[in-house]
Amino acid sequence: MIELVSYLLQIILIVIAISVVIHKRNFTIIILIATFGLVAASLYIINKAPDVAIAEVAIGSAIIPLIYVISISRQREFIVLDRTNDGFIEYGFELSGEGYQILSDFVKEFDLSLNICVDIQGQAKKLIEELNVDLIVTKDNQTNQYVFYGKASSVLMTKLKNQVKDKPHIKIITLKEEKKND
Amino acid sequence: MIRRISLIVLLVVIFFGFLYSVIDLEAFFSTYGKDYFFANGYLETGSLNLVTGIYLDYRLFDSLFEAGILIAAVSGVTWISQHEITEKNASFMLDKQITPGLFITFSRMVYPFMLMFGIYVILFGHVSPGGGFQGGAIVATAILILYYIDSKKATSIDKILTIEKILFLTILAVGSISYFTKGTFFTNPFALSASEAVKSIYLITLNVLIGIKVSLGLVAIFTAFLKEGR
Repeated sequence: MIELVSYLLQIILIVIAISVVIHKRNFTIIILIATFGLVAASLYIINKAPDVAIAEVAIGSAIIPLIYVISISRQREFIVLDRTNDGFIEYGFELSGEGYQILSDFVKEFDLSLNICVDIQGQAKKLIEELNVDLIVTKDNQTNQYVFYGKASSVLMTKLKNQVKDKPHIKIITLKEEKKND
Repeated sequence: MIRRISLIVLLVVIFFGFLYSVIDLEAFFSTYGKDYFFANGYLETGSLNLVTGIYLDYRLFDSLFEAGILIAAVSGVTWISQHEITEKNASFMLDKQITPGLFITFSRMVYPFMLMFGIYVILFGHVSPGGGFQGGAIVATAILILYYIDSKKATSIDKILTIEKILFLTILAVGSISYFTKGTFFTNPFALSASEAVKSIYLITLNVLIGIKVSLGLVAIFTAFLKEGR
């Protein structure tokens, strides 16, 4: 009986491994990876290695999925730093205004979630390089233009550029990153 | 096309190499080690769980390298995710994503039990399956769940790294005590004739030290990942 169960578990293991490679949706893949850990742990127990099974359950189906969940949900955010203070994005405490409309439409198109923050000091270039800020919005008082700063290497910036092409009061500046050693 | 064909050829070669090496497994299969550990393991190490006996007594040298590798991994991850801009300035990332209420409630219910189970696995590593590494991983999972309950929780990676280094040196020191009592490094410092309870003092001490070290290391790696995305 126990041999039959172990054969069955091995077949399930192969099926899960193949479906991890084939599947398209990220969160389903994470669940599959966690299941892989559980099935592997039960195989270890059948082969009389309970110590290894405990380690496999703790690492393979708890910590690694947690790390994957965190890193994937971070990828889905579009972080905007607001430095305008004149109702372009934030009016009072409500998020309304022209800039907010543009950004929320843009974000909806690519299935991301918008994260708007204020009060971070520092040079635009350095902030974009060091932190994960995707876009910095400022106002140029001389020309009365709104300036969007973003990474030159980001694909999203070129798409945003196309979207605001016909709005003359918005200007987009892309900052090139310096090469790092890592 | 050429790339794919060469990849398939490579995979087939690797597969047959693997098969060839596995088929011959019986040629060098022997039960000498198993028999030796069954006959003498409990008497020489005082550990009912022979795996713990092996990694804390016969092969403590290997465990030390394992602990060292974890320290190297944590230092590497923290070094890569270093930022010049102070973390206080980056506090904007107070998670805007809302964790589901059900998840928070269940985490609060499960958290104390996970912590208790982890500590049990560490403390009873020499009599039942488990030990420092496994228990440390469970404790680390319990601590990581706290991040979902309270996303504003701040942890200083540098402090964790310092504690880990001190713990590594402590493990080294505890392992070397036997040099002064028995004359050899990295074994149980108590005499072979000592009772099981006395021998288990050494095992529990090392298991607890390794458990704290592993859990802190995993928490540090996780925190570095969290900060990197912010």
